[in-house]
Amino acid sequence: MNSPFHFPSLVWDGPIAVYLFLLGISAGATMLAVLLKRSGLAGERPEENNVLRCNAWLAPVSIILGLLLLIFHLTKPWTFWYLMFNYHHTSIMSMGVMLFQVYMLFLILWLAVIFKFWVLNLVKRFIPKLTDFAEKTIDFIAKFTGPIEIITLILSVALGAYTGFLLSALVSYPMLNNPVLPALFLASGTSSGIAALIVCTLLFTKESTHSASIAFLHKFELPVVLIEAFLLFAFFVGLYLGGGQKTVAFQTALLGGFWANVFWIGVVGIGIVLPLLLNAVAKDSLKHRKGFMLLVAVLGLVGVLCLRYFVLYAGQMTLA
Amino acid sequence: MTACSRRSFVSGMGALILMTGTTMKSAAQSPTEKQPIRYAMLHDESACIGCTACMDACRETNQVPQGVSRLEIIRSKPYGEFPDVKYEFFRHSCQHCTNAPCVAVCPTGASYIDAATGIVDVNKDLCVGCQYCIAVCPYRVRFIHPVYKSADKCNFCRDTNLAKGKQPACVEACPTKALTFGDTNDPHSAISLKLKEKQVYRTKVELGTDPNLYHVPARPGEIRR
Repeated sequence: MNSPFHFPSLVWDGPIAVYLFLLGISAGATMLAVLLKRSGLAGERPEENNVLRCNAWLAPVSIILGLLLLIFHLTKPWTFWYLMFNYHHTSIMSMGVMLFQVYMLFLILWLAVIFKFWVLNLVKRFIPKLTDFAEKTIDFIAKFTGPIEIITLILSVALGAYTGFLLSALVSYPMLNNPVLPALFLASGTSSGIAALIVCTLLFTKESTHSASIAFLHKFELPVVLIEAFLLFAFFVGLYLGGGQKTVAFQTALLGGFWANVFWIGVVGIGIVLPLLLNAVAKDSLKHRKGFMLLVAVLGLVGVLCLRYFVLYAGQMTLA
Repeated sequence: MTACSRRSFVSGMGALILMTGTTMKSAAQSPTEKQPIRYAMLHDESACIGCTACMDACRETNQVPQGVSRLEIIRSKPYGEFPDVKYEFFRHSCQHCTNAPCVAVCPTGASYIDAATGIVDVNKDLCVGCQYCIAVCPYRVRFIHPVYKSADKCNFCRDTNLAKGKQPACVEACPTKALTFGDTNDPHSAISLKLKEKQVYRTKVELGTDPNLYHVPARPGEIRR
């Protein structure tokens, strides 16, 4: 019964780790897309910007996939809608359900304004009677583009931190019940969002690797990874110095065993050190190669997925 | 313009003192107002012989399916030298925390504290099975009921024995009277008297859960847990 994926104190398993990963991508990608649009680099016609076009798919698809995983992880999946009609202010999960809905609403509003013509074409094809109404509605919403962008940005930050708060409420697990966790998940979620946007943009569009938008995303990569590395360090120093079961959790997680390997090889090696090293030694001409950029981004994504698995599983190994 | 003149400050403070003063007085005037029931349990480890009759009684009374349990008696490793070997027995079940983490994290309110009795219970129809409560419980006493697919645990037989005016099944079944159940808000109840008379301990109080399952240690000396 005792294996890395099955042990008595384990409650939340694999699908939850993937859910945390997908949510981080959605939040991080939207955060960067809003910043890109507001920086003015997307130009007068943001609907033609490849990064924004990719985010229009990536952000909603990843959050919906994540939520589907979550719903089918419930022991009673078909009662998921109870969560939307019974709120409980002391529960982080309940606040998260509220946050999802507001986030999705603002994401859709923001995307509808940017991709107005695309939306109107769809409406025209399927429900022609509503075309006028849809156009007027979107034009009305467009008057509030500024506030909508700011609110979407704030909500994406909140969503990125939310998964950390969700786990940090677990008083039973000293490693998860940690104030650094939300900040760590926000930082790693942001870096996974950047990486996912780069991968999608380079794979599915003809965006040049020298474009201003890609350069904008790239500019954030290094600082975010460094912040993530520092937060990871602070997270474990806090555990090490915490005494009692916190120190036990530190030893259990990092000093040997399957999940320690996932951490040192996956999170630290593949996710942080290798991308930093590649960027440090590569010549400028190589750095702008599509293959190289894809490789670095995929390494980052693998590292963040490993971090989610590691934190979730190793976090549940030690009890208070 | 003076936003707060001396005159309005003095009269305002006077009003504040007057108001807070009266509420204090009215609270002090009715000290005998009846408090709600606060059910708790005491497991006397020095009396427990580890027969597990309580576990069987619980399973039968509350129809707990095989494979899961609301109550477990955990047997320690053997202590002492042969032939003078002793085991210690520990009751593992819901603590009915006054500050219950499982209730705080429940997103739908399915996990709740019954205001009339202090019992932590689960509304199985409202539970969606997210398992947040199972993960958060520091005492690891919750599980998913294989039939109802909702979170389940000891509820002091609230809907079975207690509803019929009887003691919880485990208490009734205990041959050595190692279990005491009652209202700790009633100073004359059997449990209140025992809590005053015996040396007792609760587990993981440092987490702020304020549990209501008390234990009498199996023997003198440092408590093993």
